[in-house]
Amino acid sequence: MSDFLLETKNLTVRFGGLTAVEGLDFQVKKGQIVGLIGPNGAGKTTVFNMITGVIPPTEGEIFFKGSGIVGVRPDRIARRGLSRTFQNIRLFEKISALENIVITLQREPGYSLVEAFLRTKKVREIDTEIQKRAYDYLELVGLREYADSVAGSLPYGLQRRLEIARALATEPELLLLDEPAAGMNNEECDSLIDLIRNIHEKKGITIVLIEHHTDVVVNLSDEIYVLNLGKLLAHGDPHAVQTNEDVIRAYLGQGRKNK
Amino acid sequence: MQYFGSVLTLAGINMIMVIGLAVLVGYTGLFSMGHAGFMMIGAYTAVIFYKYLGVPFAVCILLSGVFSVIIGLVIGYPTMRSRLTGDQFAIAMMGFGEAIRMIVSNTEPVFNGALGISGFPKLTSLWVVTLLVALGLILMFNFIKSAYGKNCIAVREQEIAAEIMGVDIVKTKVIALAVSAFYVGVGGALFAFYMTFISPAMIAASKSSDLLAGVVFGGMGSISGPAIAGGALAILPEILRAFSTWRLVIYGVLFVVVMLFKPEGLLGYREISFKPVIRFFGRLFGKKTAAESVKTDNRNGGDADE
Repeated sequence: MSDFLLETKNLTVRFGGLTAVEGLDFQVKKGQIVGLIGPNGAGKTTVFNMITGVIPPTEGEIFFKGSGIVGVRPDRIARRGLSRTFQNIRLFEKISALENIVITLQREPGYSLVEAFLRTKKVREIDTEIQKRAYDYLELVGLREYADSVAGSLPYGLQRRLEIARALATEPELLLLDEPAAGMNNEECDSLIDLIRNIHEKKGITIVLIEHHTDVVVNLSDEIYVLNLGKLLAHGDPHAVQTNEDVIRAYLGQGRKNK
Repeated sequence: MQYFGSVLTLAGINMIMVIGLAVLVGYTGLFSMGHAGFMMIGAYTAVIFYKYLGVPFAVCILLSGVFSVIIGLVIGYPTMRSRLTGDQFAIAMMGFGEAIRMIVSNTEPVFNGALGISGFPKLTSLWVVTLLVALGLILMFNFIKSAYGKNCIAVREQEIAAEIMGVDIVKTKVIALAVSAFYVGVGGALFAFYMTFISPAMIAASKSSDLLAGVVFGGMGSISGPAIAGGALAILPEILRAFSTWRLVIYGVLFVVVMLFKPEGLLGYREISFKPVIRFFGRLFGKKTAAESVKTDNRNGGDADE
């Protein structure tokens, strides 16, 4: 049954009278890159929020690696191997790029509070090792030279890359990317595509991608889910989705006479 | 000279408490309006153990810290667990501080109610305080550098992102509260043994805001900043004593000025660094210390903005 890394069944959430996501069945196989697209307000980010445990779903179930994760605390879900980036960047802004990664690598200290206060040899050794690993992650996304820059002061595109590096530092099996190419020009998009493909291939990480840049989604995705007004509109390989009439109508609007 | 000593002792005690609170307010981003409560707990714990149970002074100081931590955990876990937001937490702590004061004021046996407890010797000397300030600072810098301290920063900067990166938010906040409770508790004990008398009125609610002011004034992401501010704010009223009635006005204006022109506080998110000094002497003697080389490797140029 569970050859899916991530699976949602009848996922539904209502905010008061508004149904943001309704009856979504969504499946991701290990090793895939799955695109999640849809017009603004379709509920894509809400789906991510439910998967990562930030918003509890009203109905439905979510399975990650075969076990239910509805009601599990976000930090616990993260430790099981699920990480994400944010549409509106959420870096630890006032500290350096390197420290952003260091914090993530050290989310579980690995030594006691007493050792922390005394700064024992063990603590110092772990610190040095973590620093090295943090540089590796920055290297991976091409940010090594910005290690000491304050995260919030980096250009927009680099902040997005830093978010990806930070998410990778949790060593996820599944990575959810929320509009990683937002605000990027074509050139930056191309290098982002390379980066994502690189992560996917070298680290063997499964990826779910919310994106408005068609280039990026079509280029990367093995499979695409289209959401509209909280419901699944279409699902299939990139070519099938691109030619699907419902999808075109949702994005471009419907002619008046067809009504 | 004795007057000088007494001002410095009180300044040192204030420093210990302010650096404790800096972990919670500055590093974790949780404002507390009730840490006078922990000061009260620390003061009474030390006095009661010393006077009624004959426990040695040094042990009393430690016990007052430990007891503050226990109470801190009791109050902290439910408030953190129920995810009170910043302002809600500040108010909850204010309630806690007041509750502690009322409990002490109205308990006749042992606490002796509003009259307070006297009849114990003055054991807090300038030397004891100096030693504890130094020890407190060293331990605190270690804590801040550790993964636990870094988790605190993550919570302050981006709570949601921190949680999604796998940081245990509740645990991090409770630890920050416990550490601050320990320092403030110890400060309370030192205070009591300096005054040789303790009553609920001596640790008024305004003490909480004094401590908070020290942190905000000193810098929201710094230990050395609040340490300096904590000391200065204890000394300042003495310097301004000559102006008697105008004292509080000057005090207030100073705050407004700092908040207007340096809202991040004296040192902001930095620490005072002695690295340039060490490097200077290192060069003078033609050798590079091990500690220095590690530090310069880790964050080259990081101290250039000091």
